[in-house]
Amino acid sequence: MEKTREFSAEAAAGETAGTIKDLSKYVPEARRKPGELGMAAITFLLGALGYYFALDMTSGEYSSPSVFPKLASTLIMACSAFNFYKALRKEKREASVTLTGYLLPMDVVVVLVLLVAYCFILPRLHFVASSYAFMVIGMVYLQRGKNIIRALLISAVSLAVLVAVFRYLFLVILP
Amino acid sequence: MEQNLQYFLIPFLSWEMMMLIWVGVFAGIWVGAIPGLSVTMAASLLISFTFSWDLNSALALICGVFVGGVYGGSITAILLNIPGAPAAIATGIEGYPLAQRGEAGKAIGLCTTVSVFASFVGIIVLSVAAPVIANFSLKFSPRDFFLLAVMGILLIGSIGGGDPIKGITAGAIGVLLSMVGMDPSTGELRYTFGNIYLMAGISFVTAMIGLFGVSEALTQFRNAGNKSPKQNLDRIIPDWATFLKYLPLSIRSSLLGVFIGALPGTGGDVAALLAYDQAKRTVRHPSRPFGTGAYEGIVAPETANKGAIGGAFIPMLTLGIPGDAVTAIIIGALYIHGLKPGPMLMIETPHLFWMIVSCLSIASVALMVLGLVSVKPFAKIIEIPKEIIMPVVIILSVIGTYAIQNSVVDIFYMIGFGIIGYFLRLYGYATGPMVLGLILGPMLDANYRRAMQGAENQLLPFIQGFVTNPISLFLTLSIVFLVVSQTSFYRRWRGLE
Repeated sequence: MEKTREFSAEAAAGETAGTIKDLSKYVPEARRKPGELGMAAITFLLGALGYYFALDMTSGEYSSPSVFPKLASTLIMACSAFNFYKALRKEKREASVTLTGYLLPMDVVVVLVLLVAYCFILPRLHFVASSYAFMVIGMVYLQRGKNIIRALLISAVSLAVLVAVFRYLFLVILP
Repeated sequence: MEQNLQYFLIPFLSWEMMMLIWVGVFAGIWVGAIPGLSVTMAASLLISFTFSWDLNSALALICGVFVGGVYGGSITAILLNIPGAPAAIATGIEGYPLAQRGEAGKAIGLCTTVSVFASFVGIIVLSVAAPVIANFSLKFSPRDFFLLAVMGILLIGSIGGGDPIKGITAGAIGVLLSMVGMDPSTGELRYTFGNIYLMAGISFVTAMIGLFGVSEALTQFRNAGNKSPKQNLDRIIPDWATFLKYLPLSIRSSLLGVFIGALPGTGGDVAALLAYDQAKRTVRHPSRPFGTGAYEGIVAPETANKGAIGGAFIPMLTLGIPGDAVTAIIIGALYIHGLKPGPMLMIETPHLFWMIVSCLSIASVALMVLGLVSVKPFAKIIEIPKEIIMPVVIILSVIGTYAIQNSVVDIFYMIGFGIIGYFLRLYGYATGPMVLGLILGPMLDANYRRAMQGAENQLLPFIQGFVTNPISLFLTLSIVFLVVSQTSFYRRWRGLE
């Protein structure tokens, strides 16, 4: 019992620092997260679409190709409905937290934009140039514009090591 | 017997073989640590090098890579919560919280020690009981594999990370996504919408890299400002008392790993997840509650996936049936070198069997040395500021994903899964069950349908099979036990709550 209390305090401290969350026991959160109802609705919709498209598959026998898609879709819909109901019963979310602020803080938005841009320039500029640009821009932004020379150097060295190891040592084909 | 010992000693007396095993283990550790660059890929790349070599040298290198690669997958799981391979998913659940507490060195040290122990358990079972286990594993019918997959799906409760219903939702989404592509038994297209890229299905390794790697990076950026924890590297090698404390669990999990590894079509990933779940249910007083950095949660999956190495060789060497993807590649290598794996292999070429046993043993010793030497440099990785390490992790994920089938489309999938994983995590849906669904979905679907066809599409004979066949009955009862053991009534009775 003493151990459990000790641990709880440790876990709580970790949580404050934003590092460790105690997942050993499920404790439902009292307040609804922004967009939680929407998330449950989206997963329900996914299940419904899964079932709808499974109707086109061969069926009629217990061993038909449509059996598992239908089962999985039904399970998704049932669980999503339950998740929606549970979210509905929670207290309303804090008014100060907006949906976009919760889902997409600026750092995440920038990295996502960089990732999508990287995907599109990768086939055109190929691996070395596009990866170098991604790493430099990412590092410079995340360090808030400081240490630009360091970011340029670290990116160059990391990339040189990656290319040497994968392309020339392991003979892995790079994009 | 004396002759077998002579065969066993061949690699010990050859400097070339000895060196190749060590090089293989070293390369395997580093390749395995990178998500997407699997041990299967490393083995297949090396096979092409070894076509012109003599068989002994080729086998030495491949055995080294196999042992090192399976171990390497756990390193990034512990340090960055990005498993290098599916077999390391369970390790990350407990290992990452330990790294966050500054105990990465201790976690990797323990992981290395128990891994070596489990490798030896697998090798011993391989050398003494290979024919018996191989014959038993052949008795598994599609219905039994279906039940095994159901057991695997029940792990969602263990790796769900909190809300069980959200865990089931994520798992069911994984199963649904695993249905995308051409149905292997009828050729019918499912959820492809006329897109040729979807016909081959969704690679669970691509999904795993996205759901763990990219979503972890995005989540880290969300918590910008948190400093990377300082790692305590004073005591890496666990003392005897610690080793002995985990010995019973190590033996149990290793044997489970050997057995699961010996079943054709299953491998270290299923073994590790089952062992983790088994540990979670049976360990009464874990070092910390599971999910928060319990050392038992590292010992169980690590010993199971290393035990599965020896296990995977059993059906390969005795029956010519690969236990997993790597042994399938090794079978290819044996054919290239003019050998025919199967029941006659051990009679016609017994030296080969004992040489593989010997190579695996040397590789396990090499793993102990190279693994422990690598702990400090590996643990230092986590101290690098995340603004620097995370862009590099994303590039590594891109290399790993592209290497699977040299397709840029896979990179799009990977990033798509990363974004999905990020949103799922925000709302408390763990990504582990989704990957589990993707891995086990095809196994569930294919074996259920084969079993049902075996029962001539009649529901009653299908259900009767669960109680009339001894293996099916045992597995059915195990599933019932797994379900019952999750109830609070049982946990109170066993003193687990």
